[in-house]
Amino acid sequence: MNKITLKNALPRVFAGRTDIVSDTWKHDITFERGHLYLVEAASGTGKSSLCSYLIGYRTDYEGSILFDDRDIRSIKMSEWTRLRQRSLSYMFQELRLFPELTAWENVQIKNRLTAHKSDKVIREWFQRLGIADKCDTKLALMSFGQQQRVAFMRALCQPFDFILADEPVSHLDMANSAIMGELLLDEAKQQGAGIIVTSIGHHMDLPYEKTFRL
Amino acid sequence: MNLIWKLLRRHISAGQLAGFFLANLLGMLTVVLSVQFYEDVLPAFGGEDSFIKNTYIILSKRIAAVSSLRGEAQTFSQDDIAELSSQRFVKRVGRFEASQYQVYASVAMGASQMGTSMFFESVPDEYVDVAWPKMKEGEVPIILPRSYLALYNFGFAESQSLPKLSEGVVSMIQMDLRLRGEGGAEQRLKGRVVGFSTRLNTVLVPAAFMHSSNEMLAPHSQPDPTRLIVEVKNPADDAIATFINEHGYELEDNSLEAGRTTYFLKIVAGIVMAVGLLISALSFYILMLSIFLLVQKNSDKLQNLLLIGYSPAKVSLPYQLLTIVLNVLVLLLAFGALLWIRQRYLERLWQIFPSLSEGPLTPALLVGVGIFVVVSFFNILAVRRKINGLTKA
Repeated sequence: MNKITLKNALPRVFAGRTDIVSDTWKHDITFERGHLYLVEAASGTGKSSLCSYLIGYRTDYEGSILFDDRDIRSIKMSEWTRLRQRSLSYMFQELRLFPELTAWENVQIKNRLTAHKSDKVIREWFQRLGIADKCDTKLALMSFGQQQRVAFMRALCQPFDFILADEPVSHLDMANSAIMGELLLDEAKQQGAGIIVTSIGHHMDLPYEKTFRL
Repeated sequence: MNLIWKLLRRHISAGQLAGFFLANLLGMLTVVLSVQFYEDVLPAFGGEDSFIKNTYIILSKRIAAVSSLRGEAQTFSQDDIAELSSQRFVKRVGRFEASQYQVYASVAMGASQMGTSMFFESVPDEYVDVAWPKMKEGEVPIILPRSYLALYNFGFAESQSLPKLSEGVVSMIQMDLRLRGEGGAEQRLKGRVVGFSTRLNTVLVPAAFMHSSNEMLAPHSQPDPTRLIVEVKNPADDAIATFINEHGYELEDNSLEAGRTTYFLKIVAGIVMAVGLLISALSFYILMLSIFLLVQKNSDKLQNLLLIGYSPAKVSLPYQLLTIVLNVLVLLLAFGALLWIRQRYLERLWQIFPSLSEGPLTPALLVGVGIFVVVSFFNILAVRRKINGLTKA
């Protein structure tokens, strides 16, 4: 997949509203592979909705969204599965981790599916992100900031053309946020992938090429 | 798979699964047991190697006071016979032919003579259960019902202080026969008992002799037979009893009792089987409710797995395997229990019917496997559909 295009898209809940000021909704915009985008938004402007549309979880929007030239409404479940494994990585704002598994298992549950990274690489990530001692800790016992780092590592355990990071550093300090940013850039660069980061203010300090306001 | 199982086994209710397990086991056992019991017991009433081996039945028309006063025919017409022959349960039909002349038989006992009027009947030779010896000139071989000899020995001879006769002794006695037909035609012959029949309850002579003597002594009388001997494919066939009732015929002995018992047995086995199937169906619903509840309780986890790239098939697999393992266990246990119970009832049956042979296990096995396949198939399908329902918000 080389590009993601929004054509006159608008969440259905906003339909009929005339006061929407946005660079994204009701516009034709394109995210291209190999580029770095920031989507900035205030709360309640449809940022998570956009991510849900892109990951194929929700379809309650008007207009159309295209992967390359294909309308994503026509994508079947089996293909979404393949896309989520091979083309489109998503770090959820609400993390969607499994509290009954350990931090290590939470990353492995994805990596075993894709067999994308070696255990050694993942251990190094734990190290760099400062939670090496939490590998065998149940996720439920970790802070939200620590969990955010686990979710981030899980998102990297797959090949992707685009990676969507929905407020990835909302609970992180500057230092960890910087390490995460480095890792993200490295991985995307290796794969020639596009990065779409969303934020409501506190965002990763990265050399964004384009910023959209929702 | 291990991690998935670790996640998805949460909220599995042992109580609910045990409930399903027991209900399914009970249903499955009821069904296979009814099939097996039917297979084991049925041969006793109708099978080829049945202990009721009688495949011959003897039919006559019912004699009612009204019909005999009206002078209605008590004989079988050509049409009657043709209709009977065309029934699918009939192998072949033989006619009884009665002597159309008077028969007087006497035996010399020392100085005195004992004599009686009597009659002859014949059926085609292939229906007789005793082989006819070669006829000597001027002598008629006769076959008597075995019950006559018993009647004489244990009824008459006992009370009259007469000697008891063995079959051998009886066959040495020579009778003088006087046959008297139309217009005073007469024939004198010797008669000898050559055997005793358990199948035919009449005084039998060879069919060839009957034809020739009737032709000679009663050339103008060609009556229809009053009795028919019918070889049937399976005396336990319900169709026989139905046909006989519909046509107002009468059966000489109660060989059809076996047929009625079989019919009854079929109905009982059918009812038991239906109850078993009903229990199986209900147990299926218990399992489905339990699994649906499980899916509902774990829906967040399932949804997360789907969103990080697990396919619905992969996510469904643990629950599908769970149901299949349970169903296999049910099948195996049901069969174990079946074999155990079967041994118990066969021991009892053998006390009553020592010659009873065991029925095959295959039909019960097939039915059991069939239920397993159907139940598992719908389980798998239902789980998959439920998971598919989670793929969209």
